[in-house]
Amino acid sequence: MITFDEATKKPLPTPDTDSAAFWSGLKEGKLLLQHCLDCGHVQYYQQGMCRRCGGERLEHRAASGRGKVHSFSVVYRAPGPAFKRDVPYAVLLVDLEEGPRMISSLVGAKPESVTFDMPVQLVCEKASDEITLPRFRPA
Amino acid sequence: MTHKDTLRGKVAVIGAGLSPVGRVPGRSPLWLAADAARKALAEAGIDKSEVDGVLSSHAFAAPFHRFSVAFSEYFGIQPTFSNTLQVSGATAATLFAVGAAAVAGGLAETVLVVGADSLLTGLSPDLALRSMTESRDQQYEMPFGIPVSNTFAMTAHRHMKEFGTTPEQLAEVAVVQRRHAMRTPGAQMTAPITVQDVLGSGMVTSPYHKLDCSLISDGGAAFVITSAERARSLGARKPVYILGAGECYTHEHIFLMPSLTTTGAAVSSRNAYAMSGYGPRDMDVAGIYDCFTGTVIMMVEDLGFCPKGEGGRFVADGQITYGGAIPANTHGGLLSFAHSGMPGALFHFHEVIRQLRGECGERQVTGAKLGLVHSLGAGFATNATSIFGTEDTL
Repeated sequence: MITFDEATKKPLPTPDTDSAAFWSGLKEGKLLLQHCLDCGHVQYYQQGMCRRCGGERLEHRAASGRGKVHSFSVVYRAPGPAFKRDVPYAVLLVDLEEGPRMISSLVGAKPESVTFDMPVQLVCEKASDEITLPRFRPA
Repeated sequence: MTHKDTLRGKVAVIGAGLSPVGRVPGRSPLWLAADAARKALAEAGIDKSEVDGVLSSHAFAAPFHRFSVAFSEYFGIQPTFSNTLQVSGATAATLFAVGAAAVAGGLAETVLVVGADSLLTGLSPDLALRSMTESRDQQYEMPFGIPVSNTFAMTAHRHMKEFGTTPEQLAEVAVVQRRHAMRTPGAQMTAPITVQDVLGSGMVTSPYHKLDCSLISDGGAAFVITSAERARSLGARKPVYILGAGECYTHEHIFLMPSLTTTGAAVSSRNAYAMSGYGPRDMDVAGIYDCFTGTVIMMVEDLGFCPKGEGGRFVADGQITYGGAIPANTHGGLLSFAHSGMPGALFHFHEVIRQLRGECGERQVTGAKLGLVHSLGAGFATNATSIFGTEDTL
């Protein structure tokens, strides 16, 4: 059973062996991307091998935090009780300067103000002692 | 694969059945599945003891790890081939493809394809919450409050930006399908709606309003499939043949979808057409997965019914209804007939098979001989296409 407390608590990630470095990087204010030393591919999310060439020599490098909004949707009906207080909020697909695309949500501006291709900047937002979430504000 | 003819015409659907759909309180997913199954078997004219294969989808309201196995026990059969498939909304088409391959490959002679769920009246609050949140990635998606509807919304939004697709064109899909549902006995929503009704129904996740979103329903469907030879030896009435099947899986996370506006449906349908020997212009009727209105607009493009970017105009021109290029979702679809989760896509199969059997009464597409059904899921991560035809098309 999911208890009432659990239902109203926002789901937070549980880092695994593939992603531990990524989540500890965010605690230090860095959005880490994996750079493949064999083929040069840059990937998000984190995993144990390169999705392009299968190589395992992957180096974590901090992203610039600059990106552009590829698409977005403003959520008015919350997906469960945990997000009810947040609506409306804008969910973003952000194209990072380094290439990868990631999903996140907007902070620091009205959700209705988001536009396609809008420049955005990373904001590391502490959600718990263990987890800091990567969000974006208008650049 | 550019051409494969391994399944074409080898397997036939000889019976189809629907449980009551819409709001069906007091009936479990297993009962709904069994009710649909007994109707499908009655139509096929065979006893349940003759079923040696069972394939099913999962059910949120009956969260067995092995729904197909639980179903068999409930229904009182002991099949020698069974599996419970899970590729979200695309599961429906894969049940037919895997079932056909099993029959053609000798793993089973007669396969019952079945699915049912009770999303409207059968979910405890606990299960309802899990159904909303557990289908997306827990590390990289859900912490941001991203339900699956949001992933579909972002694809449609980008389509509007790239091709000028309008909210009115999205709404038109809902209007057309409601008109279809008004002629379908048992449909959940039958009150007529206008484009203005859709645009005024309140935003859920932009660009989708409430009436751009599919329903939440109870219900199930079942089908009996067997070899073409056995269909003939049984003297099956109006068998409908599986002519083509194709699938494509392009990503798991929405941020790794190769393009937000061209989906795996382009590949799955191309493979299905190639197997069938027919193309999009040959299709008389279609069942197109319609979790949201914009999904249909993107699919008429990727399934080859109109060029990329013209889906909005195609719909607004009346091309997805009677007299148009491809009458689609003539039962009303997930938007107006019923949407009981994964089994919801089986209703599209039921409708297209009935159309090809000429049994749709006042909503019959005259002379329909070839039909396409496309099912998809998980923010376009999964796509699967089936092509069916009458005896004349073999």
